[in-house]
Amino acid sequence: MDEATQRKWDKAAPNFDLMAGAGAEKRWQPFKEELFSHMQGNILFLALGTGLDIPTFPKGQTITAIDISPKMLEVAQPRIDDYEGTINAEVKDVHDLDYEDDSFDQIFTSCTFCSVPNPVGGLESLRRVLKPGGELFMFEHTGSKYYPFKIMMDVMTQLTRKIGPDMNRTTVANVQAAGFELKEVNSLFMDVVKTIKAVKPDLK
Amino acid sequence: MDHRLFFVLGDLAVNVLVGAVAGWLCALVIGVGWNMFLAMILAMVIGMIIGTLFFFPLGILFGAMEVMLPAMFSGMVSGMVVGMWAAMEALGAMDAFLIGGAIGLACIVVIWVINNTVRGVTTYG
Repeated sequence: MDEATQRKWDKAAPNFDLMAGAGAEKRWQPFKEELFSHMQGNILFLALGTGLDIPTFPKGQTITAIDISPKMLEVAQPRIDDYEGTINAEVKDVHDLDYEDDSFDQIFTSCTFCSVPNPVGGLESLRRVLKPGGELFMFEHTGSKYYPFKIMMDVMTQLTRKIGPDMNRTTVANVQAAGFELKEVNSLFMDVVKTIKAVKPDLK
Repeated sequence: MDHRLFFVLGDLAVNVLVGAVAGWLCALVIGVGWNMFLAMILAMVIGMIIGTLFFFPLGILFGAMEVMLPAMFSGMVSGMVVGMWAAMEALGAMDAFLIGGAIGLACIVVIWVINNTVRGVTTYG
């Protein structure tokens, strides 16, 4: 367990909804609802955080949801209880998943890989537990390749990294580097906010 | 751009406000006769800092990246233009505020145009 990352998000938990729970969630809600509407089968969701995404989940699913921060999951508990389906929330580090190989049909992430310390390592860990042919659906913000926005996001990352996410991740490239086969990238705001769909290649 | 009225008005308000405040502050800091290059760099930095400071409270209402990037951009461009102007000739506080606000308005329109060009689906395989 990455204790430094866990402490950072435990510390952020009490005020997380204040920063992220209003404007950003309202703005992103329709895109998340569309992405999560693909949920079916045995699902792994990370990182659940304070559960802000739960109202956008389709009803009736059984979801294994993980987060590195127990404090975040404490805040999420009322939303977990309100969900019309089953969410099994567990404290786990994506770098150190103890699920068996090829366990899940689908994996969903939401604003996760801006914060995972070793993004390619984390994605490789997800690939291990995803079934061959299984799908990876991501809602993420990344860095921009366009100037001057690239510089702005590099500068902002120096500020935000200490208290929360990086702003300049190359998540699409990381997905490919981790061995996933990219299917679709939908840029929602410039080349910064996007959904990513990929599959674990079935090599048989 | 987001077509929901709340976010359209929010984007406009944030960027006009950031541009106006950045312009006003740069006109206060930079005096006539300053080295133009120095004035430009300092004003751009001031503008980006103003954009960042406004992002934290206004982002709560209007979004994350959709507020942060345009606010920093508006602050930077407004600061640059007003700062260089203030280095050339005396600029009153109200004039700087209004010019900065107009530049903020232009910047969010530029962001909307860039966004409409860049956004969209790319499929692979």
